[in-house]
Amino acid sequence: MMSELMLIVILGAPLVMALWLAATWLAGLEPGERTISRTTAASFVVATAATGALAWTMYGSGWAPVIVDIGNWFAAGAYSFPILLVVDRLSLPLLALTVVLSGLIGSFSSRYLHREAGYLRFFLLLHVFAFGAEAAFAAGSFNLLIVGWELVGLSSVMLIAFFNQRMAPVKNAIRAFAIYRVTDIGLLLGVFLLHHAAGSASCTLLFHGIWPQQDTPLGAGTATAVAICFLLAAAGKSAQAPFSGWLPRAMEGPTPSSAIFYGGISVHLGVYLLLRAAPIIQKSPVAPALVVFVGLVTAILATLSARTASDAKTSLALATLGQLGVIFTEAGLGFERLALLHLTAHAIIRTLQFLRAPSMLHDHHRVHAAAGGALSRTGLYYEALLPINLRRWLYRFALDRCHLDTLIDRFVGDPILRIARRLTAMERAGRAVSVQSSARVLAGTSVNEVAGG
Amino acid sequence: MAENRVEASCWQKSGLSRPRNAPMNTQVDTVRRAVKRASHLLPAQGPIGVFVHHNTLHAFQHLPFEQAVAEASALFGTEAWMREEQYREEFSRGRILLEDIDAVLNSEANAPVYSWLDRVALRRIMLVPGVRPFHRSTIRWEIEEGNLLRSSEDRKLFEACLNSIERPPKPPEPSPRRLRDILLDTTGDDLDEIVHPLLIRLCSSYLDQGLAYWPMPDRRAGFYRCVRTLWHQRGALLPNHLRDLPAEFRRQMRAGMTSEEAVADALKRLRVPITNYERVITSELLALPGWAGLMNRLEHEPELAPHDRVRCSLMDFLAVRLTLTSVAALSLAGDPETLEALQTAPPSPPSLELDRLVEAAQMFEVAKAARLSADRIMSDSPLQLRVLLEEIRRFNEFERRRVWHLAYERRHERSVLGPLGVHRQSTPIIPSSKRPAAQYFFCIDEREESIRRNLEEIAPDIETFSAAGFFGIAVDYAGIDDAHGASLCPVVVKPQHAVRERPVTEDEPLHEKRKTMRAAWATIVRSLSLSSRTLIRGSLSTSVLGLFSLIPLIAHVLTPRQYARLARALNRWILPEPRTELTLMRTDREGHDISENLLLGFTVEEKIERVASVLAPVGLRINFAPVVIILGHGSTSLNNPHESAYDCGACGGRRGGPNARLFAAMANHPEVRQGLKERGIFIPDDTWFVGGYHDTCSDDIEYYDVDFMPEAFRPGFEAAKAILDRARMLNAHERARRFEAAPLDLTPEEAFRHVQERSEHLAEPRPEYGHATNAVCIVGRRQTTKGLFLDRRAFLVSYDPLQDPTNENLAKLLAAAIPVCAGISLEYYFSYVDNDRYGCGTKLPHNITGLVGVMDGHASDLRTGLPWQMVEIHEPVRVLFNVETTPDRLMSVINGNPSLRELVENRWIRLSTLDPDTGVIHVYRDGIFEESPPWKAPVPEVRSSMEWYRGKRGHLPIARVVGTRTRS
Repeated sequence: MMSELMLIVILGAPLVMALWLAATWLAGLEPGERTISRTTAASFVVATAATGALAWTMYGSGWAPVIVDIGNWFAAGAYSFPILLVVDRLSLPLLALTVVLSGLIGSFSSRYLHREAGYLRFFLLLHVFAFGAEAAFAAGSFNLLIVGWELVGLSSVMLIAFFNQRMAPVKNAIRAFAIYRVTDIGLLLGVFLLHHAAGSASCTLLFHGIWPQQDTPLGAGTATAVAICFLLAAAGKSAQAPFSGWLPRAMEGPTPSSAIFYGGISVHLGVYLLLRAAPIIQKSPVAPALVVFVGLVTAILATLSARTASDAKTSLALATLGQLGVIFTEAGLGFERLALLHLTAHAIIRTLQFLRAPSMLHDHHRVHAAAGGALSRTGLYYEALLPINLRRWLYRFALDRCHLDTLIDRFVGDPILRIARRLTAMERAGRAVSVQSSARVLAGTSVNEVAGG
Repeated sequence: MAENRVEASCWQKSGLSRPRNAPMNTQVDTVRRAVKRASHLLPAQGPIGVFVHHNTLHAFQHLPFEQAVAEASALFGTEAWMREEQYREEFSRGRILLEDIDAVLNSEANAPVYSWLDRVALRRIMLVPGVRPFHRSTIRWEIEEGNLLRSSEDRKLFEACLNSIERPPKPPEPSPRRLRDILLDTTGDDLDEIVHPLLIRLCSSYLDQGLAYWPMPDRRAGFYRCVRTLWHQRGALLPNHLRDLPAEFRRQMRAGMTSEEAVADALKRLRVPITNYERVITSELLALPGWAGLMNRLEHEPELAPHDRVRCSLMDFLAVRLTLTSVAALSLAGDPETLEALQTAPPSPPSLELDRLVEAAQMFEVAKAARLSADRIMSDSPLQLRVLLEEIRRFNEFERRRVWHLAYERRHERSVLGPLGVHRQSTPIIPSSKRPAAQYFFCIDEREESIRRNLEEIAPDIETFSAAGFFGIAVDYAGIDDAHGASLCPVVVKPQHAVRERPVTEDEPLHEKRKTMRAAWATIVRSLSLSSRTLIRGSLSTSVLGLFSLIPLIAHVLTPRQYARLARALNRWILPEPRTELTLMRTDREGHDISENLLLGFTVEEKIERVASVLAPVGLRINFAPVVIILGHGSTSLNNPHESAYDCGACGGRRGGPNARLFAAMANHPEVRQGLKERGIFIPDDTWFVGGYHDTCSDDIEYYDVDFMPEAFRPGFEAAKAILDRARMLNAHERARRFEAAPLDLTPEEAFRHVQERSEHLAEPRPEYGHATNAVCIVGRRQTTKGLFLDRRAFLVSYDPLQDPTNENLAKLLAAAIPVCAGISLEYYFSYVDNDRYGCGTKLPHNITGLVGVMDGHASDLRTGLPWQMVEIHEPVRVLFNVETTPDRLMSVINGNPSLRELVENRWIRLSTLDPDTGVIHVYRDGIFEESPPWKAPVPEVRSSMEWYRGKRGHLPIARVVGTRTRS
């Protein structure tokens, strides 16, 4: 009972904060910075304490999963949408990670965003994000996971576009949004398939045993289809190839939001999906290989691009991406525990690195001086082995981020835009015709009236 | 490979003259001239690691201020003044008075206009109560649905106004549009958005100083050739409209083009007539001014690059830019003929009817405010009305803001010079023969004003002075932890001397150990930070070390002060610092040439020269205290790419501690003291100089060479230090009032902790406010300003006019002080009035790129100027100089120095004098000094600074702190 309550407190804290901030904002009563930062701090302190208590009780009970059944959101015939929360050995570290990192980011941001016009908006989105991530991690069914997943995506996009008076943040946010939307189809399809095949998307029914030694009653064929769908969703969220382009472009928001989303939690959500659905993936004969393939390709391309990145945030974003690829590979190979460890550690170190990104100049000069004014040359390992023209070709390939953006733009984006433009032109032409004819009619009547008068 | 050989051979050829066809030659000449002229318009900021304040509109300095800001606004599309509503707000809170507006209006030519209105009256009405600005895009709405016309009388009056405008104003000469704008209108595609992402990435990689793991290859060939070599190969998937780029580069390569030829060729391909070259080149360079500016800066001063001196040339940048542009434009337009047709097509004329409505609305507002009736207007002759209309047009929004601004500055001038005069008149300057307990030298920096005042309030028996923070010693200095020397002097000076810090003999083993340890530390830190960005090593390091980084993460964010203290303690424990000395003695005349033709150390004669250059203008010749403390300054903060902008401007954007240390060492030298006697400066044997360093962010003070101080001076030094410790506490308290995050009821101790935390917090975008609020520079004896609360807004330059009969000292002081203060004041002015374009916007999305600058987010132009967080509390006024001398003497100095003359005559600074004998103030206005009218308002008198500022956040008027006076 105790642990159930704790779990509800963990999820409730950011939800209450988000609802409260949204309500006051809508009502036009913007609370002051101090109120926002203090309540935020309080909510994360409470959530952290609850996480600690939850971990303690779970430890006491030999890591038995904690299950909270809040009941059905709705039910229609045979279908129901259960609100089922499960915390097991996979979700607990991630929940703890989310609570701690978002709390730290909250504390950091209350100072960083001081006097910024979007102060409330930022904290609202931070709480939405925290709730979304926690809901996704604690979801006992894939239906509920979608809710958390989408909230994370939404807050991510809104924070990329935080400085919405400039064009670039908005454009890059839309790019991330488009990738999210397209790849999230995978998650939806996967859940449909699960319902179709197993009659439920609830983890308690789909998986037997304790993570990671779980098994699933699904057949190999269904498992493959679901796994591929989930892989699509995971690849979009974690910016795996060929969707990688949005990640470096997401570095438009304030530094702390970049840290928690793209160094910390949000980009690792795709990995979480793979780990949660690991029994399904491993059941399939081809899916693990696909996951490994996507991971490896991403790791290699991202590392290559990262080598040429010459600005602090892109360099970190691409480095993150490289490791995400490695973690994907680990998950695909069935090393779930390793992947979980790697994920957690990686999220922490990247958050710190992102927060320190504006110090890169300072750090570089300090290390340079300490090293006696000469740093070891970099970039002459593997590259130096290549013939000069190939090296140049490879450099361009890397600098253009392996052409992944162009690939999507030219073969997906541009054709769609062309069709849209053509349709707009047709619509305009059509309207012009109708306006002209109606104008003629009107003109005609007035002439007639004058003539008649 | 074949192409590669072609490329190699044309590099060799580039030095030789090749036969070119004549038309190409004239084109190239035109291009060269145009680029040269346009280059002056680019921002002059260098790599951000060393930030030097300078006039943002340096290129316009030859013009009068008002004209310069107008021309710059037109060219850059920037704001010249604050917004009209900001001035209105200042008016309503009493910061601008009606008398200021009237004074400004009356100072300009008057003329009859219409009915009872003359120009002054008309303008006055247009300012107070004021007319609303109208705009073409909203005017219909204003008339039809807004509340412009509220009654039938209003409508009648509006009709009358509308009818009186026979024809709408002649539309302004349509400004030539960029090709990008034309294509955006016709195709819907933005040329810049096709070209910029690639161009930005190329610039950033090319100029990178070591951030990227894999440096760009072929950089030695120059930007243009480097990009051409990299991009000419086949086998890339490029954005749709840049598909032909490799082919185009191949063509240029085959033709063996230089960058100039490539520019000329691209202009030809873009169908730009030669008469338009300059305009097109200027506008193309100004489309990414930050990157172009840095290329230009590094072309002329490659040594500014902190690590890699890459070969830069603005022509190369332009060649790449125009090649990309021409490829994309041709792809967008389809074929060259369409491109040409699009450019030659006249722009569609704007609807003149809307302009007529705007004019009518403006006139309606004036008529209403001036109580002109509709009947009157309708019955009047068009000729008379035309004069009125013309006057209204002339007093457009730009002009109104100009007058508002002058009124704003006038109030500032009055509120500074008035109390200054009152203070001078009511406190006779009596030369004191008593020996002060201690003397303190600070930089002229306005941030040091408060600590000086607090010192004087605490201890009336001390004296403070100020001199430019390099203390007369231009030096190339390397501390024991520095790899290379750095110039510590104003940027216009090139140091001739080098000084190196080295460990004292007995500490040499310690130093060697420290050096080894630091090198080991550097290796570890570097390999960790590099490995976290690689694949295989990264997997290990992130998964193993990642968990441990939770500790620094939490400590950094939640307990920054404790963390910093712990880090310092660890540092002291593991890496104890050796005691050091400076290699400042040079006995032989030539000295030793170390690198770059610098002389190692100073001879006695040179030292005498340096010490005298500071002490003589100040007028400190005999009455030396037992302890004289010299404080250089700088500022420490974390996570702050603009850190250098907070450092000492007189040390070229670096920290001035070593200069103070050097100065003290020189002034303590017995032979130097002997030599100084010949120059009339008598430093007694019982005086000791101590150098130190004041951190204007954390208010920490560090003292140098205390170990070497003779025992006899120690008690005096400890006493002087104790006073300074209390003063920096109070200084922190006074500073904290400006920080919204610091509650107003902090005690000095709490405030001190508050400012310390600011300097050590990763999340702090405002470690301090830097030079924000600077507005005044007072050159004169401290007695004239001692006891005045100047609110940290005044640069103070110590100068004794009585000991300077030839004005020689004044000339030297002003030659440094005016350009430095004007640079700071104008940079803050422009970064404030247009933070988006003259400044670099908010700091929050900034992203360090190539270790040379910051971009907004993922990819943008290189942002130059100051961030909003540095200027947000600034009052944009041109710095007001007050010099304690007579107008004649001042003008003889100003006229003797062309660069000062330019600043003064073109009104980039404001100038006034304080008569040394009578205390009368004169103000410079267009070549004439007017006596400042007497100040009638009472000047507030308080017992202490704290009494005056306690509980207040905003700018404070000048007050007299009389407590110190009664006590002394």
